[in-house]
Parts: sequence; structure tokens; C-alpha cells
Amino acid sequence: MGPLYPQELLNPEYNLLIGFLIGIGFGFILEAMGFTNTRKLAGVFYGYDATVIKTFFTAALTALIGLFLMHHWGWIDIYKTFYPSTFWIPTLVGGAIMGLGFVIGGFCPGTSLSAASTGKWDAWAFLAGVMIGIYGFIFTYKSWWAGLRASGKLGKVNFPQWLGIKEGIFIFLFVVVAVITFVLYQKWQNHWKTKMSKEDMDELGL
Amino acid sequence: MKKTDKIIIALLVLGGILALFYPDTHPFRRVISQKELAYDAALPSRYVSVDKVAKMLMESDPSLILVDVRDADQYAKYTLPGAMNIPVDSILSEKYVDMLDQDVYTVVLFSNGSGLADQAWLMLRSYDYQGLKVLKGGLNAWYRNILHPQEPDATEVTSEAYKRYFFRKGAMYYFTGIRPAGTSASPKPAVAPKPVVKRKKKEVTGGCG
Repeated sequence: MGPLYPQELLNPEYNLLIGFLIGIGFGFILEAMGFTNTRKLAGVFYGYDATVIKTFFTAALTALIGLFLMHHWGWIDIYKTFYPSTFWIPTLVGGAIMGLGFVIGGFCPGTSLSAASTGKWDAWAFLAGVMIGIYGFIFTYKSWWAGLRASGKLGKVNFPQWLGIKEGIFIFLFVVVAVITFVLYQKWQNHWKTKMSKEDMDELGL
Repeated sequence: MKKTDKIIIALLVLGGILALFYPDTHPFRRVISQKELAYDAALPSRYVSVDKVAKMLMESDPSLILVDVRDADQYAKYTLPGAMNIPVDSILSEKYVDMLDQDVYTVVLFSNGSGLADQAWLMLRSYDYQGLKVLKGGLNAWYRNILHPQEPDATEVTSEAYKRYFFRKGAMYYFTGIRPAGTSASPKPAVAPKPVVKRKKKEVTGGCG
């Protein structure tokens, strides 16, 4: 049955409305989980807070397993979903910039919007930086980045195809890796927590 | 570890194990069904008119990719501005997959008539390539309508027909540099198409290249 919009089972207005509602839910959950706290986000790099890594791994796995199984059960047609081509070099560069931004600024783009809406000044400064970055990229899109954008082209591939294994096996291995990461990170975090004093914890807002 | 953590981990592991029992989906490389291909082939929207393409070219529309599917000799003799040559025999070659199998650009296939481009369209569409169009009437229609526009005859004197005619005269001037007959002598009638055309010419040299 799904996806609804590419099959024109949903008109553009309702599509926007649903996007709006999902956006509200997303922002609400980000705030509820404490993602608007920069220290919580930066914590993933220092090892005192695993929330970010747990959330992202869980989200990726839920989507991965959900899409795969729902396609086979006939609930969603995966061929009608958007699948971008892979350019690994610009993705690597972008990922490094994003990671740096994450640990320096303490926000990712989504959480900066959430935090800005709660009135945090650092989030507004972060958003101003995001805007400068976006517009800077737009105006130099053709002149500076043409080479980088097109580099490392792999076409439309996914990991199982690239590794030459079955998709089901890849999903299973990904789950195993994620669970091991959860457990190890939890241990690292507990190690931190026992070392940290109450005052430190309060200061970090944990 | 908290209880909810354990439940979530158990669910994910269960999902991962379940996934082992299902075949591959190959989400991006698929051959569409004959029924679907037949349905798409009958849609008039898979054609694009020469006027539309002329307009996109004049506006330097960045989403347009023109693909000449005739052989290299014919391509060398004459083609549309900015068109690339992929002869119909090699259109499914691995070399062009990355360029043609995308969903951002409008890829307009053209040949002398529509026949060869139709063949190319069917071949590509059967592999579920997106954003493909065929230039209606091909280069023949381009020659007839854009390079040599005819004034609407007495049977279809509508403002629509005249609008199209004037657009085509402007397009002709744009693509050939030949001032349309009847607008050359006095500056008065030429005032309307002239400034528009000149400004757009600059855009092309800067952008499409």
C-alpha cells in the first residue's frame, strides 16, 4: 500500500500536513529526551552519555528492519521510495564537518532548531552558522565544489550489494554490531558515572 | 541496563533474525512489469513539446539534460544546443547508468522523428529509470516549429496560437540569430522580442556551457 505520496494516494496539502505533524512529534521527542542540552550531545564524544548513539542506532535499525520486512509483507513498495546515489568522498568530508560541528557546537541541525525554540541563545548562534554555511555553499556551488561533489561516485549501491552478501545477513550483522556497541558503551558510561561527582553531574545536566 | 533497553534490544535482535529468512529486495535495480511499462508508454505526459524544450533552453533550466540518441555522424552534423550523444545501441551501457538512472533531472531523448527516441525511452523505462521524456516530433518538429515558425492560418486565429507563434519567432531569433521576417525593418515591432532575447542570451553563455 505505501508509500502514499508517490502513488498519489495523498494530495500535496495532506502530505505537507503530515510532515508538519511528524515534525512537531520529532521536535517534541528531541526536547523530551534532553537533546536540546548541548552537554548531553557532546557527551557521546567524551563517553559520559550514550543517549545519542543509542537513539541513532535504534532509529537506523528500526527503519532498516521495518522497511525490509514491511516490503516483504506487502505493506510498502520499497521501489517507490527515494534512493540517492552514493558519492563517498563528499559524504566523508561532510560527515567529518558534521562531527566537528557536533562536538564543537553541541548541536546537530535538528536539535539546534529544537533548542532555538526553547530560547537558547547558543542554539540561535548555531542556526546563524548553519545559515551562513548553507548560503555560502549555494553561492559557491558551481565554482568551488564542482570537483568535490562529483568525486567518489559509486552509483546506487547499498552495503550488502557492495559486500556481496544477502540483505538479510547484513541486517542481522548490523543488529549484532549495534547490540555489542550498546553494551560496551553502557559499560564505558557506567565507568564514567562512578568516577564523576554529584556536582559534575549536575553541571552537565545529566 | 534498564528494562526498556532490554526489551528494545530483544525486539531488534528478533527483527534481525527474522530478516535472515527473507530474500533480497535490491531496492534500486529493478525491471518494471510489462503491465506497468505498457501503462507508462501510453501516457501522453512522456512526451515534451519542442516549445517547452526551447523555453527551458532559453531559461538555462539546470534540470534539463538533452540526449541525442542518433549515431555520432548525425550528431556531429546537427544537434540541439548542449545535447550529449548516446546512440540508441549503447544507451543501456554501464557507462551511462549513473547519468541516466537518476531522479533529479528531466532527461529529454530526441532523434530525427520520435521513433528512435521512443525505442530508447522504452529500453530505459523498462529498467525503471525516472524523469525520462521524448521530444515530440524530434528534430523535424524542432526544424519546422522553432527554426521556421509559420504564422497561424485563418482556421486557428486564437490568441493562444498567436502567443505560440510569437514565442517561436523569438525562439528562432534566439537559436539562429536570424531576425524573423516582418520584424527587421522598423525598430517598432522588434521592440517586444528584442530585449527579452538579448538578456537571455547572456544567461546561456554564463550558465549552461
